[in-house]
Amino acid sequence: MTLAQFAAWFEGSFLGHAMRDSGVWTYGVVNLAHILGVALLFGSIAVLDLRLIGVWRQVPLAALSKPIVPMATIGFLLASITGLGLLATKTTDYLGNPFLYAKFPIIGLALLNVLLLHRSAAWKAHRLRDLSDGEKSQLARMGGASLVFWLGAISTGRMIGYW
Amino acid sequence: MSMQILRNSLIASACGAALLAVPAYAHHGWGGNVDQVTDMTGKVVQSVRLAGPHATMKIDSGGHVWDITLAPPFRTSEAGLKEGAIPVGETVTVRGNRNRDQKKFEMKTIMVQWNGKKYDVYPERE
Repeated sequence: MTLAQFAAWFEGSFLGHAMRDSGVWTYGVVNLAHILGVALLFGSIAVLDLRLIGVWRQVPLAALSKPIVPMATIGFLLASITGLGLLATKTTDYLGNPFLYAKFPIIGLALLNVLLLHRSAAWKAHRLRDLSDGEKSQLARMGGASLVFWLGAISTGRMIGYW
Repeated sequence: MSMQILRNSLIASACGAALLAVPAYAHHGWGGNVDQVTDMTGKVVQSVRLAGPHATMKIDSGGHVWDITLAPPFRTSEAGLKEGAIPVGETVTVRGNRNRDQKKFEMKTIMVQWNGKKYDVYPERE
């Protein structure tokens, strides 16, 4: 299946029809929910990333990660589900859009970073004990990567409509 | 690289990226289209669709299929152009600003005229 075939199939899917045929406010409301999801995700993850990099060292990492991880997860899920709806509305219109083509790999990198972080010994240990300097700098690098990837995903995502 | 430098440079780059992202939050307007307003007559290839950020239709004019970008769905509907309002094959005249890119046959549309009736989707731009 080529990308063009996939786009045509996705646009013709139940989701595409639902987005197009359910009233003049549907796209706007789904777009609103998408932005809320992105705001929830980035607003929460930015605080955690900055803490990992070394800002607000006096705040215990475990105290931040406990509320931030579920908030960011909810934000990501909301943004993903609504994003599929926005894309399904007129998928074929976005063929050849370089910002869209950049956005999904960047989200992939961001999620890979999340996976690596959660699998790291340092992250697993951060609720149980003080971390070594080596572990802190490992988490700092991942926090920095997270900021770059999510900012990249938001920037390319916002630019899709301007191509 | 020391933690302090890493930290400061990352904060600086985050702020820089945030600043770059700011102009994007202005709604994409008519900047990608020429300032000149022109009238164009053609035959409807795809009727009015009230889906997505803007309502759309397609017309054939001068041998090219033009993407006619209307107002957002609610505003277009209020102007009288409902879903499927104008049948395929009908002759319409549209007034608007064409895309700056001469290879893109797209017009941001102010008014659609069909069957002796005018539909002003952006009356303030007339």
